[in-house]
Amino acid sequence: MKHSMTLAAAFLLAGCQLDREALVLPVESGWKVEVAAGPADGFASPDGLMWRDGELLVADEGGSAVRVWTPGSRPRTLADQRAGLASPEDLATDAEGNLYFSDDTRGGIWRTDGKGGVTTVAAAARGLPSTEAIAMAPSGELLAGDALGHRVMKVARDGRVSVFLGPERGISKPESLAFDSGGNLYIADNQDDVLYLLTRDGKLHRTLAGQPGFSPESLHYAQGALFITDSRHGKLFRYTPEDGLQVIALFGGALRNVQGVTSDGRGTFYVSVQSDLKAQKGYILRLYRKTGSA
Amino acid sequence: MLAFLQGVSDWLYLLLNGLSGRSWLLDSLIALPVDNPLVKAGPIGAAFVYAWHSGRDEAEAKRRRAILLVTVGSLILVLTATKTIGQSVFLPRPFVHSQTAWHLSDGKLVESPVLPYRGPQEGSAKARHEDLARGEIAENDLSSFPSDHAGFFVALALGIFLACGPAGAAALGWTLVAVLLPRIITGMHSPLDIAGGGAIGAVILLGTQWLARRHWPARMVEPLSAWTLRHGAIAAALLFLVAFEATNALENVRDLAGTAGDIVGGITGA
Repeated sequence: MKHSMTLAAAFLLAGCQLDREALVLPVESGWKVEVAAGPADGFASPDGLMWRDGELLVADEGGSAVRVWTPGSRPRTLADQRAGLASPEDLATDAEGNLYFSDDTRGGIWRTDGKGGVTTVAAAARGLPSTEAIAMAPSGELLAGDALGHRVMKVARDGRVSVFLGPERGISKPESLAFDSGGNLYIADNQDDVLYLLTRDGKLHRTLAGQPGFSPESLHYAQGALFITDSRHGKLFRYTPEDGLQVIALFGGALRNVQGVTSDGRGTFYVSVQSDLKAQKGYILRLYRKTGSA
Repeated sequence: MLAFLQGVSDWLYLLLNGLSGRSWLLDSLIALPVDNPLVKAGPIGAAFVYAWHSGRDEAEAKRRRAILLVTVGSLILVLTATKTIGQSVFLPRPFVHSQTAWHLSDGKLVESPVLPYRGPQEGSAKARHEDLARGEIAENDLSSFPSDHAGFFVALALGIFLACGPAGAAALGWTLVAVLLPRIITGMHSPLDIAGGGAIGAVILLGTQWLARRHWPARMVEPLSAWTLRHGAIAAALLFLVAFEATNALENVRDLAGTAGDIVGGITGA
């Protein structure tokens, strides 16, 4: 009994030493992946990402802050709990350099000028109790997906709010929004696991629905394709109407909960991962090909 | 010591996986016990039933049944232990390591060494490998250590062996040949996964048998064993259920428990 206990302990220790903690497995060949930033770099648990002029804008949900980060430096905080933020989710910018963001705990649409000023563009009480997705429409109006209202709202710059897609359209949780180059709007519903497409003629299509192993979390349109994260299954997809849905990479273990995705326009992609939201642990991963294009 | 064990495991894995993908017939024969519960565990269930009904006299039969009853109880502990450890050790199956991948180490992503893999031409392991190439991976393909199959069937076969030597030797042999080796050959587990699971199974089985002989469980097990002798028909019916489920690694019981949990959760709103 004593010998078998010793042997069992040796096998267990040897096995536990092999613990990989997390894994990223590119399904398409040629991709490389690295940790761009982590907890040691001043991020808690990032969600929405947006690349703008050589900087990465980060909705740091776990840290209740919106930050801006230039790779290789420390992040700068643009807004945090002192301004009333709780769970910043998604980001959008306008041509004037303003940054808009959503907050699924506080609700509403917020704006920062990047110099410390934070204002509420539209308060939660105006039909935006739990804002998730946010996107700047080609018309210059903001669109915001609201989880509790099961709808997408239109928010004018002066704060006027109107219903863009009401609950009768069947979208349960508009988690992310992205326009393609033709002005069509993709909508991720990660409650019903559906990718919707709202074409410019106003028709709403269930582009991807009921597909096993697919639950869209965040959307990003770049290089003629839609890039989609899936936090439930730990995947990064590329979607085009011609080629359909293709898995770019699998994420497992502590890196499974992939959230936001963006790209620098030159073939490098950034993906945020919430390893442990409560413990404020997360990463920003950088994925790129040796050739530099996706 | 630990590096030595890992080295031996890798060497043995490469040796055994080298048998895979060489012939359709051989791959089909190896896939059979992996994918077919009757081939995998039927003979072990039969050995369990044989051991249950063996014994030269009533005292011997009572002793054997007590051992087998404790064995069945220990299987639940074994599965609990292997599943719990498996959830805390993130280690993908060997066939996953045949792909270029990065793993997290001290906050950095490090390229993992690629493990050579010969894919089988037949069976569920072939399907899993093809799924991985398409970007699909099952949840339990990411936590291969320790092998719960090894823990479960080593404990079961060892329990049968303690009750009835010849039947137990047959069960142990079948466990090695039909349950454990095919899992290494097809890249589902490394020898270290198997050894870890088997060691957990053996220690828990021996520990519970020791407890049941010398301590308070004896007060329950011995009367229960005697009861099975007095009520042969009911005991045989229950034995059928136990043997059936034991050869399915308690999968149906676990499914039922999950359904019951869902129902309770639905009622209580949890």
